[in-house]
Amino acid sequence: MNLETQRKLSIGRAMNEAIAQEMRADGSVFMMGEDIRSFGGVWGHTGGLVEEFGPDRVRDTPISEAAFIGAGAGAAMQGMRPIVELMFVDFIGVCLNAVYSLAGKMCYFSGGQVKVPMVINTAVGGGYGDAGQHSQVLWSLFAHLPGLKVVCPSNAYDAKGLMTAAIRDNNPVMYMFHKNLQGVPFLGLVKGSVNRVPEETYMIPIGKAAIVREGSDVTIVGVGATVYMGLDAAEELAKEGIEAEVVDIRTIQPLDRATLCASAGKTGRLVVVDDDYLSYGLTGEIIATVTDGCWGALKGPPQRVAYPDITVPYSPSMERFVLPNAAKVVEAARRAMTQKS
Amino acid sequence: MTPIVVPDEIDEGSVGNWYFDDGARIRTDDLICEVMVEKATNEIRATVAGILRIRAPTETVVHRGDTLAVIEPAL
Repeated sequence: MNLETQRKLSIGRAMNEAIAQEMRADGSVFMMGEDIRSFGGVWGHTGGLVEEFGPDRVRDTPISEAAFIGAGAGAAMQGMRPIVELMFVDFIGVCLNAVYSLAGKMCYFSGGQVKVPMVINTAVGGGYGDAGQHSQVLWSLFAHLPGLKVVCPSNAYDAKGLMTAAIRDNNPVMYMFHKNLQGVPFLGLVKGSVNRVPEETYMIPIGKAAIVREGSDVTIVGVGATVYMGLDAAEELAKEGIEAEVVDIRTIQPLDRATLCASAGKTGRLVVVDDDYLSYGLTGEIIATVTDGCWGALKGPPQRVAYPDITVPYSPSMERFVLPNAAKVVEAARRAMTQKS
Repeated sequence: MTPIVVPDEIDEGSVGNWYFDDGARIRTDDLICEVMVEKATNEIRATVAGILRIRAPTETVVHRGDTLAVIEPAL
């Protein structure tokens, strides 16, 4: 085995490596956002970039998302490839117009003549008592709005490949990384998210899901942190003789509907797990996809485990109560196994 | 056998991620693991090349001078 294949990275370090490699290869790539230069990113994922690329290409911004996300959209329209960091996705409210009405629509408005090759890098997720304005996921919001691609890696290998693909994409990409998978101890360490990452550059295609565990009885679908709830649930279900297949969609928009239908068509049963809000979201979209695509193969009603339609509580015990977890996925899978269509 | 110890500037910390498996071949200056002190991350790098033997797995509480790993010479 060669030396390169033995090295592992965290998601944050893999993002950093992809950004650095693309900045080396393409002078139009630059990064800006809050605390990315001097502090190295609140998740440690931009450390070392300013030392190598200088303050013109790694820029700290004031706390003014409307200005710097808008500046990113404008720079992209002028031929740059900005990576603009929205520190927490919860802060999207003040700058959504630049994202969905400028970046997302300009390619359509111009008949394809104006490209917007912009990455919006943003941290998502809760579970550590940071309350209702710092704990949301919100990917269904962006996936709902035409013109935006939306990805979320569950491990370092995917994180590097998806970041490279996002930077090279000629359209705006929401690159959403889950806080619980950053390898920060006060958020918990998820060992599966730290995996082997080649040193050379590579891409994971946007819009392609991965089967992360094969099984024959029930399909469990997740993305980001919920992939691990699915994998933990699958271990528990295996003790009961239920073999779960776990699908990591990796991209929320465009959704890999073919892989979802192939898996649910094979197992006949579906559980969708999401830490975004329940209603009008990813779980409903995936269930609609599967009922459209392989209705005849389904053996029972699809199940979903998601965040209820409430504001995230501050109290840790209340937050834990409402967040999805592996035990809730196990219960949903048991329902899927017993309820008949 | 070269021990890799918790550096002097750390009173107490918690071992974060290991970036190589136990038994992996490592190079001098490879980032091998992190020691977390409150919210700060301290990078621990290999001082020599060789075979990594992990002594303090992820989430172990460690103190100044504790052995995190030893590096055996690669034959």
